[in-house]
Amino acid sequence: MSLASVTSITATLLVIGIFVMLALNFDYIATNIESQVEMKAFLVDGLGQDVIESMKKNVESLDGVKTVTFESKTQALEKFKEKFNNNSYLLEGLDDRNPLPDSLIVTMISPNNAKEISESISKMSDVENVVYGKEVLDKLLKITYALRVGCLLLIAVLLIISTFIIANTIKLTVFARRREISIMKFVGATDWFVRWPFIIEGVVIGIIGSIITVLALSSVYMYFVKTLSGSMLGIMSFTIMPFSEIVIDTTFFVTCIGIFIGFLGSVISVRKFLKV
Amino acid sequence: MTHFFCRIIKDFRSLCRNIILKGCDFLIRLNDVNKVFTDGHKVLNNINLHIQKGEFVFLVGSSGAGKSTLIKLMLKETEATTGKIVIDNEDITKMRRRYIPHLRRNIGVVFQDFKLLQEKTVYENVAFAMEVIEASPREVRRQVPIILSMVGLSKKYDLYPQQLSGGEQQRVSLARAMVNSPKILIADEPTGNLDPDTSREIMKLLVEINQRGTTILMATHAKDIVDNMKKRVVAIEGGRIVRDEMRGAYCRET
Repeated sequence: MSLASVTSITATLLVIGIFVMLALNFDYIATNIESQVEMKAFLVDGLGQDVIESMKKNVESLDGVKTVTFESKTQALEKFKEKFNNNSYLLEGLDDRNPLPDSLIVTMISPNNAKEISESISKMSDVENVVYGKEVLDKLLKITYALRVGCLLLIAVLLIISTFIIANTIKLTVFARRREISIMKFVGATDWFVRWPFIIEGVVIGIIGSIITVLALSSVYMYFVKTLSGSMLGIMSFTIMPFSEIVIDTTFFVTCIGIFIGFLGSVISVRKFLKV
Repeated sequence: MTHFFCRIIKDFRSLCRNIILKGCDFLIRLNDVNKVFTDGHKVLNNINLHIQKGEFVFLVGSSGAGKSTLIKLMLKETEATTGKIVIDNEDITKMRRRYIPHLRRNIGVVFQDFKLLQEKTVYENVAFAMEVIEASPREVRRQVPIILSMVGLSKKYDLYPQQLSGGEQQRVSLARAMVNSPKILIADEPTGNLDPDTSREIMKLLVEINQRGTTILMATHAKDIVDNMKKRVVAIEGGRIVRDEMRGAYCRET
C-alpha cells in the first residue's frame, strides 16, 4: 500500500521538481543578464581630471548605482580595436584624431532603475548623452517577470493537484484500518491520537519520494550540464545554473514540498473517518 | 414586566429541578429529547429518562424502536434534535466536539458483534483501550492482567480473537470496556450472538460489574434474561417510552 503512495508521490514530485529546476534556471539566467546591463554616459571633450572625478562622485551618489568607471578616449579606442581584432586596419590612422569621446560606464543594482538614472545623469552639465539598450532591456524585464510568475503559478497548481492524488492514495491505507479507527474513537481517543500515526506515515512517504526525486533529477541535470558545456554554452551569452548550486536549492524545495504534500494528504484522508 | 416575571419563574423552576435532580444523584438524565432524521422520520419522541448511579437498566423494544439511536445519543455519535442530555452532571448536547473523547472515557461500550481487532491478541485488545487514552505503559502492565482475571481470561491472554469462542470474545470486549473503570457501561445486545448458557455467564459478569458500582444500561431482545433478573425495565415503542418499571419483565404482565 505504501509502495503505491511512494510511487505516486515520486511521480508528482518529479513533475514539480522539473518545474522547480526550470524556475531556478530562469531566475539565474535572468539575474545574470540583468546584471550585465550597463549604461554609458558620453562626456564633452577636453574635461580636466578634477571635473571628471567630481562627476564620477555625483553619479555614484545616485540611487541604484552600483559602480562607476571612467573610460578615456584612448581606452575606448583600444577596446574598439580589440573588438575588431582581425579588421583593426580599418581603424588605422585614427590614433591622431580619435573620434571617440570620454565616457563613464555605470552599472546598476537593478535594471528597473535604468530610466531614472539615465534621466538624472543626462541633466548634469558636460554630459553629451546617455545610452543603454532601452527597448531590449524593457523586453527582457517583461519576459523574465512573466517567466517567474508563470513558473510559480504552475508549481502552485501542481501542488494542489498532487495533494489530492496523494490524499486518495493514503485513503486506501486509512480505509483498511477504519475498523481500528472507529474502535479507537469509541474508547475515547482524541482526533489527534488517531491522526498522528497517519501523518508520520505521510511525511515519511513524502521524504522517501523526495529523495528518489532529487537523485533522479540531479543525475539528469548533471548529464545535461556536461553535454551542454562542451557544445552550446560557448555561443550563448549566458550559462545555466551550476550543478552544485541547483542541487542544494532543488533538494530544499522538493523535500519541503514532499513533506507538505504527505502531511496535508494524510490529514485530508483521515478526516472522513474521524466522524464517529 | 411580564417578560421579567416569566424569566424569574423559569429560573426558579430550573433551580428547583436542579436541586431535586442533584439530590437524587442521577448519572444519566434525558429531558424532552427528540430526534428527527433529515428525511423527517421521527425516531425518538419526547424521551424522558433518568438513571441513578449504580442502577441496572434494561432497554427493551422491537428492532427499529429507537434503542440504538438512544445509545448513540448518549455517546454523542449523533446529535439530539431538541432536548437536553446530561451525563455525569455535564450537558453533552452543548458539548464541544473536542471534548467528546473525554465523555467516552467515562462510558464503556459493549456491542453485539464484539468489535475486537482480529490482528491483536486478547491482551493487546484490552491494552489498546488504555493506550488510546494515553495511559502510561506501567499502568497498562498493571491494570490489564487484573481486568483479564476479573473476566476469567487470564490464561488466554496471548490468543487471537478467532481462537476464542463467542462468549470468550464478549468477555474480552467487556474487559476492554471496563479497563479504564468507566462510571457507565452501555451494552448493546451483548448476548445477541451467544447461546443461552454463555449468555447467562455474561449476565453474571455484568451483575458483578454492577455490584462493584458501575451503572449499566443494556439494550436487549432476550426475554428470559430480562424476566429472570427482575431489574428496572424501560420499554421503547415507536420512539416513545411506553413503560418504565422498577422490577419489570420483558412484556407487560397481564
